[in-house]
Amino acid sequence: MQKPLTILLSLFLLASCSPTRFVKPLAKKEHAANLSFGGPLIKFGTATIPIPFVTVNYGYGIDSTLTGFASFNITSALYGNFQAELGATKQWTKQHAYLPALGTTLQLNAIYRNTEAKKLYPQLDLHAYWEYGKRKNYFYIGASNWFELSKTRTLGVSQDKHWILMPMAGHSFNGKKWNVNIEAKIMAPNLSNEKLVVDYQTPLRNRGAFGVYIGYTRKF
Amino acid sequence: MRSTTFNSFLLLLICFTFSGCLRLDENLFNQQKLTEYKLDNYTGETDFTLDYLYQIPDSLVHIFQLASQAPGEPAATAIYAIYIGNISRISTDTVIMYCHGNRDHMDFYWQRAKLLANTGTKNRFGVLMIDYRGYGMSEGKPTEAGIYADVDAALNWLKNKGLSGDRLVMYGFSLGSAPATKLTAEPRSLTPSKLMLEAPFANAETMVQDASGLAMPSQFFTDLSINNAVEIRSVQQPFFWIHGEADDFLNISTHGQMVYDNYSGSYREAHRIPGAGHSTIPATFGFASYSNAVLSFITRH
Repeated sequence: MQKPLTILLSLFLLASCSPTRFVKPLAKKEHAANLSFGGPLIKFGTATIPIPFVTVNYGYGIDSTLTGFASFNITSALYGNFQAELGATKQWTKQHAYLPALGTTLQLNAIYRNTEAKKLYPQLDLHAYWEYGKRKNYFYIGASNWFELSKTRTLGVSQDKHWILMPMAGHSFNGKKWNVNIEAKIMAPNLSNEKLVVDYQTPLRNRGAFGVYIGYTRKF
Repeated sequence: MRSTTFNSFLLLLICFTFSGCLRLDENLFNQQKLTEYKLDNYTGETDFTLDYLYQIPDSLVHIFQLASQAPGEPAATAIYAIYIGNISRISTDTVIMYCHGNRDHMDFYWQRAKLLANTGTKNRFGVLMIDYRGYGMSEGKPTEAGIYADVDAALNWLKNKGLSGDRLVMYGFSLGSAPATKLTAEPRSLTPSKLMLEAPFANAETMVQDASGLAMPSQFFTDLSINNAVEIRSVQQPFFWIHGEADDFLNISTHGQMVYDNYSGSYREAHRIPGAGHSTIPATFGFASYSNAVLSFITRH
């Protein structure tokens, strides 16, 4: 049962289908709409391509250090699933020279198809960013953490993985009312990707998966 | 006008998005097409190539079409089959129904069919192999119900040639483990006397959860209900399982072992082959060792 199915089976990695929503909070009462594209890299034929996940996101600056947001996964919807995220980004410290600003994002990821097929995944992101230049572009690093709450998987087998770690790094190019964001993410570098139906492409060879994303945000 | 057009487009987009019309089911099947079967003259990639000792005389190779109709289908689908053996002796021979994998078509799996036909001695067993609908030269598009109907059409052909269930051995490799298990657990035209599975998969859910590392329902992506791990519980016939310990496609622990553990019939035997991958069991095990294991099981009373 080999290869063309690998690209589609890679949709299984819904868990990592989007970039970090907000690293730097919006200004107070500022709105933002975002469209992002990208996903884990897989081998498809002779090429290495990202899974084309598309998500839309809306954010609102509750205050200058706290941004609430909601997201919707279009690709998942095309497969008949309602997948949405609800969360908030809080900045805890400001940048001081080379010391980055630090923040966290707490969000809930919900996927629903029917009463038998539904999941809820909590996610906690930790991130640090450095602004530079006149446009206040910024570079960031961090780690997303997904949590699997189920104790068992199919056929009554024990679910032994409850934490999926995803270190990431990205850059945001800023305009006055917009920004373009690129991000790279390593998904589950602590877990083996061998003996799976999906042919993930990653610099860590037989560990985890590697994702790339691009996003456009319009502020208003 | 512009606003109306935009609104219509938006409505269409929303309707399309929420229609959830995409499923992975059809994409799970490889559907490699052929315009003719070349068998020994096939020059494409194969898992292994046997030497001249396994040659099948032309008089024992029969390529023909079957009509397959799944329940609820308005018309039959023409599929191709190859029978290795003397058709006039089907009423007395032991026949292996070989259900091939998803990778390719009968040209690709020809070497495997020859190996089974020559198990024990030269041309010892009759072997029937089909290309499921959509594979090779077979018409149509594959579906789960269609694949079961295709294999059953082959079994019905054997039945019409005089085969009885006590001389029918069902063999499934990879994807082929689904129809092999299904039609052994829930027989239609014939009741197989034995079931052999090579590198079987447990169910679609296991594939999803292995790939994601999460306890994620397979229904998010597919409506396929193939579940060998559950179906095997209804199999009472003797059961042979062989799986490569280095299978990097269908993990031996989460797939094959699960099927084996769930079997509760009269007899079972397991062959875990060190160093063998998903497609390399006969070559890694050694053709002679593989044949001996198969022969020993089939001839076991």
